[in-house]
Amino acid sequence: MSGQRAGDAVVRKLVTFGRILREAGVEVGPGRLQDALRALDSIDLQIRDDVYAALACTLVAKRDDLEIFDRAFRAWFERAPSLNHAQRPLDLGLAEMDESHSVAAQTIAEISMDPVDPDDADKASAASSATEMLRSKDFAGMTLAELHEVRRACERLARSLPKRRSRRLEASHRGTLLDPRRTMRRAMHAEGEQIDRAFREQKLIERRVVFICDISGSMEPYARALVLFLQAAVATGRRVEAFTFGTRLTHLTPFLDGRDPDRALERASKAVRDWAGGTRIGESLDAFNRVYARRGMTRGAIVVIASDGWERGDTSLLASSMATLHRRSRAIVWLNPLKGHAAYQPLAGGMQAALPHVDVFLPGHNLASLETMVRVIMQLGRTRAAQLSRSAV
Amino acid sequence: MTDMRSSPDAVSRALTEHSYLADRGLATVLYLALRLGKPLLLEGEAGVGKTELAKVTAEALGARLIRLQCYEGIDVAHALYDWAYAKQMLYIRTLEATGQAKGGGDVLHDLFGPQFLERRPLLDAIDNDDLVPPVLLIDEIDRADDEFEAFLLELLSDFQVTIPEIGTITCEARPVVFLTSNRTRELHEALKRRCLYMWVPHPELEREIQIVRVRVPGVPERLAAEAARFVGRLRTMDLAKTPGIAETIDWTQALMALGEEELSADMVDATLGSVLKYHEDLEKVRDADLARLVEEAKATL
Repeated sequence: MSGQRAGDAVVRKLVTFGRILREAGVEVGPGRLQDALRALDSIDLQIRDDVYAALACTLVAKRDDLEIFDRAFRAWFERAPSLNHAQRPLDLGLAEMDESHSVAAQTIAEISMDPVDPDDADKASAASSATEMLRSKDFAGMTLAELHEVRRACERLARSLPKRRSRRLEASHRGTLLDPRRTMRRAMHAEGEQIDRAFREQKLIERRVVFICDISGSMEPYARALVLFLQAAVATGRRVEAFTFGTRLTHLTPFLDGRDPDRALERASKAVRDWAGGTRIGESLDAFNRVYARRGMTRGAIVVIASDGWERGDTSLLASSMATLHRRSRAIVWLNPLKGHAAYQPLAGGMQAALPHVDVFLPGHNLASLETMVRVIMQLGRTRAAQLSRSAV
Repeated sequence: MTDMRSSPDAVSRALTEHSYLADRGLATVLYLALRLGKPLLLEGEAGVGKTELAKVTAEALGARLIRLQCYEGIDVAHALYDWAYAKQMLYIRTLEATGQAKGGGDVLHDLFGPQFLERRPLLDAIDNDDLVPPVLLIDEIDRADDEFEAFLLELLSDFQVTIPEIGTITCEARPVVFLTSNRTRELHEALKRRCLYMWVPHPELEREIQIVRVRVPGVPERLAAEAARFVGRLRTMDLAKTPGIAETIDWTQALMALGEEELSADMVDATLGSVLKYHEDLEKVRDADLARLVEEAKATL
């Protein structure tokens, strides 16, 4: 061992570097650091690129983290401009909220934090007709206490999401595929006589459901309730992905994940920066296609888009993005809260451009319509959209 | 043959000898994987040479390549081992027919012995008696489902398997393990923790030209440069599927087969299908004025 002290210095430096990475949001456990030390041990520390490669391959495990790593590496080992000046991914979730965003944070936080007024709760449970009224009440006109009720209802609703057959086989009494391994083992009890045959069938696994929710100004009253539903759906731990968009697309799933729903909503409200602002549906869906759909997130999945379709300007990008998304998914359900009003006609340019690529077009303005949506998603899980009779919806 | 475990430079040289031109970063990471005996997880767009790296490493080490292609529903019977049930059944019947059926215990012992064991790639890799430890390539791990990932995790940490009827088999010479993923989904943290991670990017222009020239023997220098430059330009165009180095090589071969010495607009138009595999992408590139793109690729020479 040449120079115990030099070795100590390397360890200290590495540990601090690990801490910096952790603060920047890259998960670095002690195991990783140990690997990094072993890696550093095997290379020439004088060669900058080798040190870089050795640390990157041991400390980073995601492509998205590479950029953060790169910046941290330059800041820490090469004394480049401080890490604090770095922009985008680092301040994710830590950024100060701007004006419009803090409003959203407030409303969502209110729903999640405030204990329900006991009087309200009593009233709600006292009369079952009140529940019935709540189901059909427009989200836009709801009080905080009512939204609490909605949240509870969402938790129930979110539990029933569709399944699909997997290619993986599992043991089953009702199955029809012979399971030679288990049959053979059973035969051993009867000295090789195959009396008792064992079967397998294809396992059922959850079908992925991707929710993409418009949170622009015109959608705001509905978006609040929908985000509550998204949180409940993600929290079931099933294959659910949640996105929001106004002027930009946000992948909300990682923020909504976790056991504590209040904290999840708080995280989500911080992550969404374009709450109640303008809307760019076409660009947002295009971004979704390029980043997530291309990687296969929507393959075999049911995509639910909630938006009023108020697209400003040119709708050709919206039309082409919808066409692409439709090809890459199992079915598209579109929720438009305005459809809940009797006189509604899909006249908005965006809506007209999108509709040819929508399998099922539903309202989404109250609890009852969310129940319908879950039912439709279940049906689409079993039946292809083309065979789904529209009258049944 | 150079010893790849001695330095990143040695890795680089050994790969070059086998027609794989690796960046310094990739060479260093591969060197560390060999040196530390850890699996190497390669992620990157399709066609950047992830699978090829494993193949070439096997060649350079003089090792056997064992490949496991993953797909949805893959399980232990496909990946590790299975029993040859039909053979077992015939064996029992034969014993009965010839009146050789002994006491149950002996039959059982025979029946679940090595001669009825169907070895699949993972068992092959663990239970090897190769002089040089084999290279195990677990390809497109992102296609397998979660259950299989959990199983792999266990396997990659102990390098031993237990077959109830035979016992535990421990790995004498650990294979060099490569995992590749196209990132259709994010892999589990725990599995990643077992591995060294490398994101394989598209090569830089000069490197790509070199790769084409090495991979397509006899290619006119001019054609290689123009093709690489043209594909490089396509990659900046926001396509549904950006062409990888594999596509550049295929395309150059196609152009060579047609006797081309350099790019020309009509030949590019005719062969564009070997570079772009989506209808929308083809449309987009043709709309973007193919002739001009070709001119650009040629002009910068």
